[in-house]
Amino acid sequence: MKLKRNIKLLFLCLLLLSVSGITIAQNGPKLIDTEVASVAVVANQIDIDYAKIAIKRSKNKDITEFATRMIEDHNAVISQAVALVEKLGVNPKDNAVSQSLLDQAETKLKILRTVKKKDFDKTYIDNEVEYHRAVIDAVKGLLIPETENEELKALLEAVLPALEAHLNHAKMVQSKI
Amino acid sequence: MKTHKQSISKYIFALAILICVLVLLMSFKSTTNTGYSNDEPVTHTVTIFKMKFSPANLTVKKGDKVVWINKDFFPHDVTEESAEKWTSKPFNQGEKWSKVINEDIKYFCKLHKVMKGTITIGK
Repeated sequence: MKLKRNIKLLFLCLLLLSVSGITIAQNGPKLIDTEVASVAVVANQIDIDYAKIAIKRSKNKDITEFATRMIEDHNAVISQAVALVEKLGVNPKDNAVSQSLLDQAETKLKILRTVKKKDFDKTYIDNEVEYHRAVIDAVKGLLIPETENEELKALLEAVLPALEAHLNHAKMVQSKI
Repeated sequence: MKTHKQSISKYIFALAILICVLVLLMSFKSTTNTGYSNDEPVTHTVTIFKMKFSPANLTVKKGDKVVWINKDFFPHDVTEESAEKWTSKPFNQGEKWSKVINEDIKYFCKLHKVMKGTITIGK
């Protein structure tokens, strides 16, 4: 009887352990505010780098107009982020999420530089749709929830409608290519 | 006979005055019912914030002025949508641009093409 009771207890403990393991896995990376600021700057800079290639390689007016907009708007976000970290007296801190973004971007940048000219516009705008979707998810699901500083949180919340407008603009251009 | 004619004339004159007063009173009442006490143009404000024109759809009186104020840290413009007949050109955070409205308008931000608005002349 005692053995059966202990086996039941062991089974219950294993069940609890497995449930807690799933919860930890679902929590994802933890970021401090200076790391959030770094991710924000890196994510904006990556889209500027994509756009610079588009301006060099595309002759399509919709693509070059969109790329110009990305350079100006994402530079505006970086300026706001830099002004805020200067005001707070901190520096953006490199972290695993920033590095992962840069690694993925390196592959995309290589593709954009080397893809055949006739395929460039579609490759660029498809990537813009995909990238903006991913960044919106990251800002909503990771950066805003992880941010403690109210001003940084407000900046990220202010950037979100711009990213959504960029995504819809990219889809509009995509439908014409 | 002359006195009778004079009396009728007086009654007709008084009746005419009464009708004029009534017409004046009715026209005054009709004017106040529209909400406009006179034909002075009114200034309306459209705020540009979080990538939206607010209000996006506005009804005005012909000759009214609309002022757009940019509260985003991105530049925006106000451009006629169908054929880009006119544009404000880009203006920055804290800056304003205005236009007197004489017809129905559909407009958009040429920089952020998904941002749209309308202005309708009220009947």
